[in-house]
Amino acid sequence: MSATRPSFAQRHAATLRQLRFYAWSFGRSPSSMLGLAIVALFFALAAFGPWIVPYPLDATGAMNLGNRLKPPSAAHWFGTDEMGNDLYSRVILATRTSLWVGLTIVGAATVVGVPLGIAAGYFGGAVRAAIMRVTDVFLSVPGIVLALAIVAALGPGILNGIIALAIVWWPGYVRLVEAKALALRNEPFVEAARAVGASHARILAVHILPNCTSPIIVKASMDMGLAMLAAASLGFIGLGAKPPAPEWGAMISVARTYMPNWWWYAVFPGFAIYLTVLGFNLFGDGLRDILDPKSSRG
Amino acid sequence: MILFVLKRVALTGLMLFGLVCITFTVSNVAPSDPAALAAGPDATRDMVETIRREYGLDRPLPEQFVRYLGGLLQGDLGRSIVTTRPVTQDLARYFPATLELVLLSMTLGVLVGVPMGMVSAVLKNRAPDHATRFVAVSLVALPAFWFGILLQLLFSVQLEWLPTSGRLEVATPPPPPLTGMLLFDSLASGQWATFGDALSHAVLPALVLSFPCLASILRVNRAEMIEVLGSDYVTAARAHGISRLRVVCVLALRNAMLPTLAIIGLRWGWMLGSTVLVETVFDWPGIGLYAVSSAIAGDFKPVMGVTLLIGLNFMIANLIVDILYGVLDPRLRTAP
Amino acid sequence: MTHFTIGRRSAIAAGVGAAGLLAADPARAFERDGNRKIMVFAGGQPVPVLDPHVRYDWSTRMIQQSVYDALAKYVNDPPQIVPWLAERWETNADQTVWTFHLVGNAKFHNGDPLDAEAVRYSFERGLRLNKGVAWMLKDVLAPEAIQALDVRTVRFTLTRPMPSFLTFIPLWFIVNPKQVQANVANNDWGEAWLTTNAAGSGPFRLRRFEPQSIIHLDAVADYWKGWPQGEQRRLSGFIYRIVREPAARRALLQRGEADMITEIPADDFEQLKTARGIRPADHRGMTTFAITMNTTKGPTADINVRKAIAHAFDYDALIQIHNGAATLMTSPFPEAIPGHVQVPGMPRRDLDRARQFLAQSRFASGGFELEYVHVQGLEDPRRIGLTLLNSLQPLNIRVNIVAQPWPTMVSRGSRAETAPDMVSVYVTPVSTDPDVIAGKYHTRAHGNFWGMHHLTDQQVNAWVDAARVETDEAKRNQLYADIQRRVVDLQPEVFGMLANRRWLMRDHVRGFAYCPLRLTGEIDVHPMWIDAA
Repeated sequence: MSATRPSFAQRHAATLRQLRFYAWSFGRSPSSMLGLAIVALFFALAAFGPWIVPYPLDATGAMNLGNRLKPPSAAHWFGTDEMGNDLYSRVILATRTSLWVGLTIVGAATVVGVPLGIAAGYFGGAVRAAIMRVTDVFLSVPGIVLALAIVAALGPGILNGIIALAIVWWPGYVRLVEAKALALRNEPFVEAARAVGASHARILAVHILPNCTSPIIVKASMDMGLAMLAAASLGFIGLGAKPPAPEWGAMISVARTYMPNWWWYAVFPGFAIYLTVLGFNLFGDGLRDILDPKSSRG
Repeated sequence: MILFVLKRVALTGLMLFGLVCITFTVSNVAPSDPAALAAGPDATRDMVETIRREYGLDRPLPEQFVRYLGGLLQGDLGRSIVTTRPVTQDLARYFPATLELVLLSMTLGVLVGVPMGMVSAVLKNRAPDHATRFVAVSLVALPAFWFGILLQLLFSVQLEWLPTSGRLEVATPPPPPLTGMLLFDSLASGQWATFGDALSHAVLPALVLSFPCLASILRVNRAEMIEVLGSDYVTAARAHGISRLRVVCVLALRNAMLPTLAIIGLRWGWMLGSTVLVETVFDWPGIGLYAVSSAIAGDFKPVMGVTLLIGLNFMIANLIVDILYGVLDPRLRTAP
Repeated sequence: MTHFTIGRRSAIAAGVGAAGLLAADPARAFERDGNRKIMVFAGGQPVPVLDPHVRYDWSTRMIQQSVYDALAKYVNDPPQIVPWLAERWETNADQTVWTFHLVGNAKFHNGDPLDAEAVRYSFERGLRLNKGVAWMLKDVLAPEAIQALDVRTVRFTLTRPMPSFLTFIPLWFIVNPKQVQANVANNDWGEAWLTTNAAGSGPFRLRRFEPQSIIHLDAVADYWKGWPQGEQRRLSGFIYRIVREPAARRALLQRGEADMITEIPADDFEQLKTARGIRPADHRGMTTFAITMNTTKGPTADINVRKAIAHAFDYDALIQIHNGAATLMTSPFPEAIPGHVQVPGMPRRDLDRARQFLAQSRFASGGFELEYVHVQGLEDPRRIGLTLLNSLQPLNIRVNIVAQPWPTMVSRGSRAETAPDMVSVYVTPVSTDPDVIAGKYHTRAHGNFWGMHHLTDQQVNAWVDAARVETDEAKRNQLYADIQRRVVDLQPEVFGMLANRRWLMRDHVRGFAYCPLRLTGEIDVHPMWIDAA
């Protein structure tokens, strides 16, 4: 029986070949691989951080005022902060916060933006006009300004920051998906499906959505970094995580008071942000080059 | 063409209305009492009440909204409860500083981004190209607020080459106000020393602000250039003995102009928004700093004013880009 | 005004625009104006509203004190009230009628004489606007009860005895009625105009007013009161530069671009105070810090929980956070307030006692969470919050540290149901009137930010009401002593510390005199000068 059924590899030969090709071309670009490495490291630190850092309690309200603002040393690789906490531990443990922030913002934006975009592009007419006008309003103001206003109103805290950024983030997905869906709806295979009486739901699910996934994946991976950067920016303005929870932007916000004499306090969290965002951007760039080569300009 | 413009203008009005709705909702979601801030820490309740009445904060929200809209139609954005001045006056005072910063960083972005993009394209897939692309991605990934602080420390505190913050030396009298943009005003009145002073203050914030824009310009120029270099047209020109350098500089530049312009248009409003961070770091007295300090004080009329102003700028820039494209590329005219 | 020397970096800046680096003068120390000097002072707080009757905070008051005069002035440490526009005053036996006699030579910057009518007008203006300073006198003084008896005599008739009346007089500045009336719009008493303009008689006049960045004052050469440092040495002007980043302020001082700075992080101060060319000023302040607890709801409604918290708190950390530049409170009153007594048994860290108190409460084993709210953007209260969180861990009490904008915090705190469990509260007394401090624990304080404890104690109320009208000093002090002990016993707050007030200045700055009754970073510019060639 198993002889008569084609193996997994046989059944999906085309897909696998495609994937192998993707992997090959992705691997050919050094910057993409660098991005992949950074992203992988980031995920690993977020997953295992609490077990590998030397002072896990320093992220939950420990203090050691006698040991404050000490420069980097063997005991404290990144030095200590103004409460005497180990900065290496706090920077590593903050990856989890950032990951959570990035995933939630991008996840929420996708969940809201993609269906709206598909609906707008596919149905057109009044539906499209209504959705796109609202989207345009949101897109007409830089996200950071609106997010600033929202967080200022709601009060600081990671959750409020996420809410604010998710509110300003979804319209980008509507724009992206709408254009794609608009192009697809007049494609022969969609018209054919409509001609044989397929329901809207089925057409959307089977024909439109799968064809939009590439740009969505590319955008989402780029946005992971940008969302973390935006959240860190809010943290910097003083609207970030509640202490003692570690968060990069908030750490820099406190640390700038201690510049330049206690430079390590601001340098390491900032570098962590830079590296993470860079990683996701390079990774996203690499994905775009292979998944969505036509849009790789601009 | 005129119809197209009229339609777009009407749409802009509608979008501004939408923006007002959003910002008004945002400013009223939390229980906050800005009047208590304005009244000061020692104020009695009836003193706070005096201020609340004066600013119409004692009215029901729908009424406040209608009043705000009514004012808006007459160009009145309400009063800041912290500065006690009309928001429009405050914006008029702070906007030129922001404008100056954004214009300067746009210039920087173009001056650096265009040649880098060209070099990158000409040397496609060679080391300089990889390096340039890496720099482009890096510039987007750098947290502007953090990098700004580092630059400030290096150039202002350690090396003492540049001033730390502000727009002018304390003792330098500002040039006679024409536009409020010090660089422009000092040039217009021929005050070279003042111009140099203002420029040395502006260079770091403008640099930090220019990074994301520079990256986009670089990318778009590179892509455009690669396309041009591959076209039959260039091959033909080369065959006619026109030098490669000339082809690159003349043909490609002309082709890259439009997308660069588009990027500037698209980035315009966005950069105005980024000033929120950069102005905070460099104490640049523009609308970004105004928005942040007002937001932190719970004073929302200025935040709404800044949001609307940036939104308006964004929409106008888009309109101009669309019209330019419409003029240059008639096929787009029928598009909504 | 065009004789400023060009500093090192300006030279480079100028080089960018025009000539070269030849004009470089490597070590500029101060701004010059011909033979005279301009003092540059950098702080982080803007001066949005200059109107002396509408707003005061330390930076605003510093400028107001420089461009305006009041009938009297606070000087020295311990603080004294000295005659200024008034050369003398007297009061009747029950202290309800106060008469002030003005000096004869005071005049406003525009040349108008400063007469009794100007004083009457200014006080009426302050009361009618009902903003800023109004709270100090509005309950005892009606606008009609101020009379200009003649050109040089003003009489105030109060509705009740007020021994502390005089302590508020230095805070009411006199404006020029003619100038103000000429700029009235919509019956606003000239409020819009005075926001960014001045109509004063003080030692300096306004030259450039940019609320968010620079305030430039010119000295008044023929100031009616004269210059204590002598005509030769007096400043030509004063520049207040608003620089929000502490690191940038520090750089300005080190480079000599600012002569004096304030709002200095404790660690910076430690490093700079011994630096070459820099002199510190470090004085005991009057601003109390306390963690106010909601006495009406949640676990903190239980006095034993409050006492447990007060005995678990790490007071040493408070001092350490300020690098030693703070003193623990020995009473709810700051030392400089008349009537202060050292209350025996002020809580200090003692975990055993803390556990005992907790055991007597309804929450014997802890296990609950308390919210600690502080003003967004303030660094010290945030760190104190972390200390609190750490201190309460042994009691099994969790702390949720929340930063909120001031208006939100006040709005929440105004009602007992919404007031947070714990709030960090700084209180800076503006006068030496003990009633203001004692009144913090009176029922009438509810709704104000210092009343966020929502404490109601009839005993305290009765004593406070009696003390404010008691004209006999000994009896009054006895009442205040009773109040202090009773308040400590009720523990509506964790009584914290008084942070020192600190400045750093270049060593050529002279004439700085500390007075605790100025507000946190405020300095008195009038007697200051720069002693350098």
